Amino acid sequence: MFRLHDVSYAYGDSRTGQAALSHVSLDVPQGGFRWLLGPSGAGKSSLLSILSLEARASAGMVEILGVPVMQARRGALARLRRRIGSVHQDFRLLADLNVFDNVALPLRLQHRAEAEISHEVHAIMKWVGLENRLDALPPQLSGGEQQRVAIARAVIYRPALLVADEPTNALDERQAARLLMMFHRLAELGTTIVVATHNDAIVRKYPAPAIELARGHLVRDYT
Amino acid sequence: MARQRYHDGLALRQALPGRFLPFLVGAMSFLAALALAGGIAAHSLSQRWTHGAGTVTTMQVPAPDDPASRPATPAPSSGPPPTRIAVVLDLLATTPGIVSAHRLTDAELRALLAPWIEQTGEQTLPLPAVIEVRALPGHNPAPDLLAQLQARVPGVVMEHDSVWSDRLAALAGSLQGCALLAVLIVMTVAVCVVMAATRAGLQTRRQAIALIHSLGATDGYISGRFASRVTLLALGGGLCGSVLALPMLLVMSQLAAPFSALGDPAATAPMDWHDPLSRIDALPHALLWVLLALPPAAGLTGWITTQMTVRAWLRRLP
Ligand SMILES: Nc1ncnc2c1ncn2[C@@H]1O[C@H](COP(=O)(O)OP(=O)(O)OP(=O)(O)O)[C@@H](O)[C@H]1O
Ligand SMILES: [Mg+2]
Repeated sequence: MFRLHDVSYAYGDSRTGQAALSHVSLDVPQGGFRWLLGPSGAGKSSLLSILSLEARASAGMVEILGVPVMQARRGALARLRRRIGSVHQDFRLLADLNVFDNVALPLRLQHRAEAEISHEVHAIMKWVGLENRLDALPPQLSGGEQQRVAIARAVIYRPALLVADEPTNALDERQAARLLMMFHRLAELGTTIVVATHNDAIVRKYPAPAIELARGHLVRDYT
Repeated sequence: MARQRYHDGLALRQALPGRFLPFLVGAMSFLAALALAGGIAAHSLSQRWTHGAGTVTTMQVPAPDDPASRPATPAPSSGPPPTRIAVVLDLLATTPGIVSAHRLTDAELRALLAPWIEQTGEQTLPLPAVIEVRALPGHNPAPDLLAQLQARVPGVVMEHDSVWSDRLAALAGSLQGCALLAVLIVMTVAVCVVMAATRAGLQTRRQAIALIHSLGATDGYISGRFASRVTLLALGGGLCGSVLALPMLLVMSQLAAPFSALGDPAATAPMDWHDPLSRIDALPHALLWVLLALPPAAGLTGWITTQMTVRAWLRRLP
């Protein structure tokens, strides 16, 4: 679950900067899948970065998975980040680590046993259909393959909150369908999932509650 | 486990290459060793010289057998007034810090003055009494004593023979000050070098750091990873600095031996170049401890500096 109350966000100086989000309030219970809609520049990525603790709201109240983020200490935020998965528009894979090590990274940071890590990585990579590319480096992969590696890294530690920014934009239709099915399964198992997209076709094909932004303002909240 | 430690994406071998930092830290340690050696040598030389020269004061009492002037409050018993020399010796006997006060006998005095007396041919020259006063090391009774004496025995002259040892002590003191200053500067430079290297390392790995930060790595984890790498490199550099400083110090102690250990045949014996380690005993123990302490000190400095640098840098991340 997460709750935003009157949240504003501006890049750079919070007073002079152009507001990417203005006075957004949301209350989303735990579990379930939601679309995050809006035209380009509406503030979708900005909202997701606040939810994934990669940006700090300039004003307002943010509570994520029961933790009041604005008052939390750095150590508490680090622990909270281990319960949040995030897929970025630009994938953010480490170019000098192979696919296996990229996907294993969150588990290694949680000091899991190497045997368990190997088991989990093989399972998830089979799911995204890249089990035979484990030794490749990210630059050697196609855009869609990189996106699937990024998705695998975000879900491997079964986060309680998963935010994904255009996770299907590099995928073909079959892959996109597979991915959305997996997200629906995870949502049924109790993960809160927010997926940003401006692809209307895919939203019509997979209807789900939606949050809609326009120029930084919340215009629709079907949650 | 090795796989886990080196696959968290930080790639510290690239971020903090293994040559640059050890070389600079090694050079700093070497300089610190030399500076500390200089400080220690100056200290031990000043110890020897001030103790050897002792603090001897010579006192001249003109007209020793004349009666002394009365004290301000006259003693109740009014016998014959004491002589001037008696008053001086009395005062010396009751002054703390004085080991001995020896009045030179007439013969000693004449032997001392023989060259001048013979030149003038004068035998009946009225001679002052000369007293040799030895004080405890570090005590200089002159200033207080002189005031008291001159009140009772006008014309008393005191000559402090420790001018030379005082000057040597001052010289040694300023050498020690210079050594301390050099060590402080070297440490400051070392801290700056470690800071710059760490910042450069953070800059080259900033994407990886931002990523593992977003995956929940704590500041403590990241700074700990950087700090342990820097500590290892600084330790290695410090070790090299100490090891390289040792032969240099042995040669220097050989050159300085005649000054520091006069009359010690072992110390002034020519160096045996086939077995240079045999001379290690000749080094002051403090210096050996310094050489042993330098690598851990370099490591500790590296650890603290890196921890602080990385933690400050990480503050920019949300
Ligand atoms: N790093 C940045 N610095 C300054 N302004 C930014 C930055 N990133 C985004 N913005 C601005 O913030 C606003 C919202 O951007 P955001 O990336 O959240 O939009 P978006 O809905 O994700 O768009 P898209 O669908 O194109 O990804 C835009 O006006 C954008 O210009
Ligand atoms: Mg975006």
